[in-house]
Amino acid sequence: MNRLLLIVGAPLVLFARTVRGVRREGLSGREVLVQLSELGSASTVLVATGLSFFGAVMVTIAWLEARKYTGNITVVGPAYFQLLLREMAPLIVAVLVASRAGAAMSAELASMSVNEQLDALELSAADPLAELVAPRLLASLIAVPALTIVGTAAAALSAAGTVTFSLGADGRSFLDPHFVQAGDILCSAVKGLLSGAFIPLSACWRGLRAKGGAAAVGEAVTVGVVDAIVGCLIIDFVVALAFLLVGL
Amino acid sequence: MLRPIRALGAFALWFARWVGALALVAGRTLLNLGRLDRKETFRSLVLFGWESLPISFGVATLIGATVVMQAGVYADKYGARQYTGWAAGYALMWEFGPLLLGMVMAARIGARNAAELALLTINGQIEGLRGISLDPFRILVAPRVVASAISVLSLTSVTFVIAILWEAIASYFTLELPVRVFFSAFEDMLRWSDFAGGLAKSLAYGVAISLVSTSAGLRAEGGARGVGRAAAAAVVASCAAIFFLDELLTGPLERLFS
Repeated sequence: MNRLLLIVGAPLVLFARTVRGVRREGLSGREVLVQLSELGSASTVLVATGLSFFGAVMVTIAWLEARKYTGNITVVGPAYFQLLLREMAPLIVAVLVASRAGAAMSAELASMSVNEQLDALELSAADPLAELVAPRLLASLIAVPALTIVGTAAAALSAAGTVTFSLGADGRSFLDPHFVQAGDILCSAVKGLLSGAFIPLSACWRGLRAKGGAAAVGEAVTVGVVDAIVGCLIIDFVVALAFLLVGL
Repeated sequence: MLRPIRALGAFALWFARWVGALALVAGRTLLNLGRLDRKETFRSLVLFGWESLPISFGVATLIGATVVMQAGVYADKYGARQYTGWAAGYALMWEFGPLLLGMVMAARIGARNAAELALLTINGQIEGLRGISLDPFRILVAPRVVASAISVLSLTSVTFVIAILWEAIASYFTLELPVRVFFSAFEDMLRWSDFAGGLAKSLAYGVAISLVSTSAGLRAEGGARGVGRAAAAAVVASCAAIFFLDELLTGPLERLFS
């Protein structure tokens, strides 16, 4: 319970402090672009390959089981596309970005903290939150929703391709959006934005707190990644529940 | 002009190094399977398995409830409420359970293992072991690979059971589906082989996580930064390996178990 409060609470506090730091010191647009390119170049390939494997596997599993009862896979196409867009792609993309970017961010900040570079920053009257955390936060807020779009497209295309080429049915129904409503897109966007904010905050918080030697860096990465992934699972659950209750 | 060729060559070298490192770790673990260091195996089991129990309970709860919420909307739409137990159980055991738990364990076990080994490598303690003619693979590496495979396997079976209980509870509250109906669909339409298929997948993930993170840890260099880099690389490579194995194993396993 304590750990759970920490996972949710600490990023909130860090968020408030970062916003305050940025209002005082401003935000370097160049640094945001650097972080954006780091996030994008690092995660795009992972997200695209991972999600296309995922799409193919889900469709294979659905076919293997559906063939026993209905014998026709194409009827589930539109529902599959909606489920992918609304639930599965945002979750898997967030977890993948959390593992990739979360690990990189907590490793980087932890080694800076252990080498006392953060203290050096503070001594030269710079705020580490505004200089280091804020660009990562903004970059991730932009990148995670964009990567969600990339991931959804990759999974849908690979599902359609698998159905067409390896299962020998018409795969176009897996790209059929006629079930998709505005609420589904909104749900996906909310999940993307919330995980995009959460991942850098929790990873950076663990990184900034690292004290000691090389062992502390390893510990910070381990805990930072696990927090980021579990946080994404919690966000996914809470947002899905909220949308279900509201009825969107 | 030469840049693509150079990039291709660099990629090939990087790939060959990874494959070579994985093969070395796997081979030496196999050679040492008969004479594992018992104390170190036990310690790794506690570290990887026992201490990951709370987090896998949490993950199981979230997976179970989320899968039912997703499946429930369609079950209602198509008037197939009584099949929720089947759909939710099938999706959980074949895909969501192994995949999501595998990624959480890649972060937890993989990063921890890589960070510990990287620390030993960077501080020269691995060299030190060799210096007093002890085989680091027998003492450090083989026990971790074995412990991590066992841990992921047993955590997955615990996760399945807990997630299925949560699915039953969630479908009672969201779909007002009696627990008895949930479990009768579960019992009639699923077989033990479905459970075994999910477990086989997670065993493969466990082995992959341990091999990848061990080789990432042993290849670390360069102080505090190197430890962080090794841990981060271990998480990413484990996740990539999990997705790749997922794609590779699903078809053959399904044919094997049905």
